[in-house]
Amino acid sequence: MFSVTFAIARQTVREALRRRVMWVFLIIGVFIISLGPVFGFLSPRDSQTVLRSLGLAAILLAGLFITIVTCIYLIPVEIERRTIYTVLSKPVQRFEFVLGKFLGGFVTVFINIFAMGVVFLAMLYFQEGHKIPGEMVQGVMLTFFQMMMLAALTIFFSTFATPVINFFLSFGIFLIGNLGSVTDTLTTSHNTVARGVGTALHYLLPNFGNFNIQNQLIHPSEDIINMSAYIRMNIIYALVYSAVLLALAIIIFDRREV
Amino acid sequence: MATAISIQGLSKKYIDVWQKQEVVAVNNLTLDVQEGEIFGFLGRNGAGKTTTIKMLLGLIFPTAGDASILGRPMGDNTVKSQLAYLPEETYFYDSMTGWDLLDFYARLFRIREPERGRRIQTCLEKVRLQPEAWRRSVRGYSKGMRQRIGIAQALINDPKLLFLDEPTSGLDPIAHAELRDIVASLKDEGKTVFLSSHQLADVELICSRVAIIHKGKLLKTGMIKELVHGESTEIVVRGKELQNGMLDKLRSLAPILDQADRDEVAESDTVRLSSDSDEKISAIIDLVRGAHAQVVSVVPHRRTLEEVFVDTVRQEESGGI
Repeated sequence: MFSVTFAIARQTVREALRRRVMWVFLIIGVFIISLGPVFGFLSPRDSQTVLRSLGLAAILLAGLFITIVTCIYLIPVEIERRTIYTVLSKPVQRFEFVLGKFLGGFVTVFINIFAMGVVFLAMLYFQEGHKIPGEMVQGVMLTFFQMMMLAALTIFFSTFATPVINFFLSFGIFLIGNLGSVTDTLTTSHNTVARGVGTALHYLLPNFGNFNIQNQLIHPSEDIINMSAYIRMNIIYALVYSAVLLALAIIIFDRREV
Repeated sequence: MATAISIQGLSKKYIDVWQKQEVVAVNNLTLDVQEGEIFGFLGRNGAGKTTTIKMLLGLIFPTAGDASILGRPMGDNTVKSQLAYLPEETYFYDSMTGWDLLDFYARLFRIREPERGRRIQTCLEKVRLQPEAWRRSVRGYSKGMRQRIGIAQALINDPKLLFLDEPTSGLDPIAHAELRDIVASLKDEGKTVFLSSHQLADVELICSRVAIIHKGKLLKTGMIKELVHGESTEIVVRGKELQNGMLDKLRSLAPILDQADRDEVAESDTVRLSSDSDEKISAIIDLVRGAHAQVVSVVPHRRTLEEVFVDTVRQEESGGI
């Protein structure tokens, strides 16, 4: 079972890494990270904070665009170019195809975030006295799991939506999912409709905001009581939410004509 | 001989949302294909050939009807290890080399090394793709090379049943002949081929049976030799004597071809007749010689599959069937 999924994933990574637009976002991300020390010079007292904030923000933004532009095309392009005919006419289950595509997208995103993370941590290493701050590794790791959830969401939409619609849906949900405090406020609204919508949005949509703990990581004063437990719970949340999205994607794709 | 494909009442309808009408792509198709034969599946563009193949492979789902392939329900994943499919337009992952492409498809069949490498080489040699192109990106392949790699990917699992959709279309004459011969050779290996093609001369040459469909409906099916039976002889006669009432005598013996303009025929000193009766042919020759006119040629004419196809489809279009 897994040999087929891995073969599709391998081929997907290969195709995804050929997309120039992905490289553009990666280069922009690395470029912004490398600008950290320059901005640090402009604000010498906060140079460490500037580098950390800028680095994590650049990884998040570049990762966001890389994930979306990589994953929205993975399945539609196979259908549009009809390459899917020669794959699904072979003993390949549709769930293996969807999982292979997701895994390929996931590995591509991992490669990109890993590359940006290495640059970021290397800059910190030289800036902060030859040591790699563990909390920044945690920050990069959480961004990666956030992007994994976004990749699953994008793959889910790509089983029935066109790339353009998928882009707006995924991007829109990512934004709403980052506004957890707003939707949380709506759940306690006096207006029944607002409360209903708020509750639905808050609990149904992926909570991307929980992964943005840059402030807590950069400013230890805004500490989370048990950071390791918090990170662990978020990783489990990302894994479970991604699994549910992939299960739904498989159910939809299993009934789709290609 | 066992049945490789058995189709019963297969239908596929689409709803055209914009025009609010139902489009029937395949209409109650019933068909059997025997193991070991090359079966020609003929029809005009949009007749429903590719839709039928896609249903059989489980890529799309029928509205009604059923089919079995090698004894298993259509679309069943367990039977796909014995199937192969070459789509009409051979789109591949362009960035891959020919070798890597086959390696990818072989992995989908769970073929392990070193068997995988051995099969890739065998298939590339079988389709006669030049070895220097094996490690080149598919993007730079010509149409003929793409068709060759397409057939190679269809052979990678040593299938029992192949669905080939227009395998020789758009090729130069040499590539065309070579690929046609490769398809023909599959029969000798005991494979069953379901061949959808517009190249009727090829189909006539390599297929044993055919089905003709039009607008999703099966019009005719049978052995080619039965469909094209009815050899006739064409006789061309010439002479001024034809105008002295002899034309009517000839017409009573055999139909005059090109009879659309009867006046033109009457004024001409050359006429073409066609008959499938040896006695009538002899009588025509005797009559012409007796009148001191000239028999220019006597040529046996065999119906071609193309004529059968055109006649069948035209009859259907004019509501004749």
